[in-house]
Amino acid sequence: MQNALVPVKTDATHDELIQLVSFILDQEEYGVDVLKVREIIRMPVVTRVPNTPHYVEGVINLRGKVVPIICMRKKFGLIESENDKQTRIMVMDMDGELMGFIVDSVSEVIRISGSEIQPSPAMVAGGIDQECIAGVINQAERLLVLLNLEKMFSRDEKNLFTGM
Amino acid sequence: MPPIDCEDQELLDGFLAETTELLEKLDDDLITLEKESDDTELMNRIFRSIHTIKGASSFLGFDLLVKVAHKTEDVLNRLRKGELVVTPEIMDVILEATDLVKILVSDIKAGDIQERETEGTINKLLPFLTDAAAAATKPPLQPAAAVESVATPPSVPPSSEPAVVAEAVADSASVPPPDAAPLPVPKPAADAPKKTAAPPKPVQGKGGGDDLSDNTTVRVDVKRLDDLMNQVGELVLERNRMIQINQDLQQNDVNHVDFNEDFGKLTKRMSFVTSELQMQVLKMRMLPVEKVFKKFPRIVRSMSRDLGKEVDLQIVGEETELDRSVVDEIGDPLIHLIRNAMDHGLETPDERLAAGKTRGGTLVLAAVHEGNQIIISIKDDGRGIDTERVGRKAIEKGLITEEQFTAMGQREIFDLLFLPGFSTKEKATDLSGRGVGMDVVKTNIKKLNGLIEIKSTKDIGSEFILRLPLTLAIIQSLLVEVEREIYSIPLSSVLETLRVDQRQFHVIGGQEVLKLRDIVLPLIRLQKVFNVQPRGETEDFCYVVVVGAAEKRMGLVVSRLVGQQEVAIKSLGNYLANIPGIAGSTILGDGRVALIIDPVAMSEACE
Repeated sequence: MQNALVPVKTDATHDELIQLVSFILDQEEYGVDVLKVREIIRMPVVTRVPNTPHYVEGVINLRGKVVPIICMRKKFGLIESENDKQTRIMVMDMDGELMGFIVDSVSEVIRISGSEIQPSPAMVAGGIDQECIAGVINQAERLLVLLNLEKMFSRDEKNLFTGM
Repeated sequence: MPPIDCEDQELLDGFLAETTELLEKLDDDLITLEKESDDTELMNRIFRSIHTIKGASSFLGFDLLVKVAHKTEDVLNRLRKGELVVTPEIMDVILEATDLVKILVSDIKAGDIQERETEGTINKLLPFLTDAAAAATKPPLQPAAAVESVATPPSVPPSSEPAVVAEAVADSASVPPPDAAPLPVPKPAADAPKKTAAPPKPVQGKGGGDDLSDNTTVRVDVKRLDDLMNQVGELVLERNRMIQINQDLQQNDVNHVDFNEDFGKLTKRMSFVTSELQMQVLKMRMLPVEKVFKKFPRIVRSMSRDLGKEVDLQIVGEETELDRSVVDEIGDPLIHLIRNAMDHGLETPDERLAAGKTRGGTLVLAAVHEGNQIIISIKDDGRGIDTERVGRKAIEKGLITEEQFTAMGQREIFDLLFLPGFSTKEKATDLSGRGVGMDVVKTNIKKLNGLIEIKSTKDIGSEFILRLPLTLAIIQSLLVEVEREIYSIPLSSVLETLRVDQRQFHVIGGQEVLKLRDIVLPLIRLQKVFNVQPRGETEDFCYVVVVGAAEKRMGLVVSRLVGQQEVAIKSLGNYLANIPGIAGSTILGDGRVALIIDPVAMSEACE
């Protein structure tokens, strides 16, 4: 837990402003670094890819590039829901490769100062893998979970993915 | 050693590009020269190349390079004037010098100039600049003339130092000083300098400095570029036409019939222009296979000298063009195959004579187009593959059991050669024996979607045949439907398609098979392999796509055939690479992604 926190603290020295894209997943609000988000799109036709982990929804055609799509609900073990008008795909830059994540809806871009980020309480957010939680932001009206998606795939999963 | 102080980077780039090109050609020419030593045109060309390199590098202040190039030039000059005669020993030294030049050039290219040991190589060149050298290599008829002509040789460099050495050696011609470079008496001389000088060995098997070849820039014929521009111009016009049609449609001032006609025409023209464009761009990406082949004469030469074998390398069809990406990948496998042929295949002159063959072996490297494939074959007339020996070795290494071996056909035994760690050699040498080579060949060829075939007859020779796709970017494919999901199968591996009643399927040992004429075809249901949800009731009739991968045949069961289409291959990215049975993806006309099936992987999964 502590380990996951360290890089964030060093990145955002206390009063430095950071911008987050906030999105909703099963009624909870989450945030990711805006610089990692390439674009936000509506659900296109997704082509299923066989023999992949269950949370890999498939691939889409993003203006001529084939981008894999991950269902966040499935990945985090949340109850699955039907896609609706609000459903979005956040296309993120993951170590130089594009990858799309299906979320319930995308709300806004918010600015927070680095000092607002607190370590998350140990038992937060049910099924979400503790490793990708970089911290929580506790403001008057809202509680926002800050995610580090690059930590999302453990080494084993990455290997499974690339079949190595 | 001066640092790179050229302010003009452009000048340096130009120098590097030119030098690299010259050096590539030089290797080839030098090998040819050894065979046809009286070709003055060739001799002059070689001399000019090295002279150009010397001139350019002295202009840019690369002292080391100048020094090596200069001495090489001197020796070449004497060869050119007929003061020296081309012998393998001289060629060895000249080739070593050009390798050194290559290393120096690649240092410059890397932007990090190191102090390299050049004296060793230069010292080897020096003896050839003496009178004695001329005498030693000349036919004994006219040594006097040679000495005379060297009396005031224009070829001896203006700097006095080498001249002094030359004199010293010349004076003590009969008793060579122990550590000065010895006299070039044919055989021992070639070996002796290696012991005394021990220079950095530049060639590491690969033919030296092939990393020089630059694959980041392309030279394109201006005419091809002009053609391309024309096509793009046409495309722009068609785009404008399309915008116009769309506008008219938005404003509702067209009737339906007109629109249909206009749009139909536009579609036709667009498809014409794009396929022309595709051809043009494809052509620009094409390189003659010569680019890979031209470093082989050098490798074969040095190997044949190392192994004490006489080999005549014949290259056929080096003008055959194929895609850059393929050219980049086939170099390594070919080197391994050539090494194998030289080391394992061809016999020594004595063995060959004993077997009633000519002294020298022949190695034929051929490239030819066949449909949308290129076929590269490496054929030797050596001893062929000893299946018995291969089998024994495999049993010894525990790769197969005795029973398996007795049940094996010739082809299966040949397949053993591709197992990692397999080698019939008792001891690993510089050249081969670690059992890595054929594995590399297999991996690289598979990566290119190619096939390997081995033909071999004992005592007659072996032939390795590589079948490679012309390009990796765009392929012809057969689109099939599996319960409403569309998949694409590379057409190059499709042998035939059949519509079959499912009741004709048989089951043997849990494996569904189809009796197709005289063969029993194992069947793979894509619906099962890809876990596709069945939609609707299963029909009696389905389609079977017969695919071949290497020597294997199998049938893929699909619900429907959609048609044939040319598709551009898109990678699935790092995260989804290596999904069993999937080679990549492509984008269909309606913008959806379709996955491309990998028949090779499929056949392996089938086992």
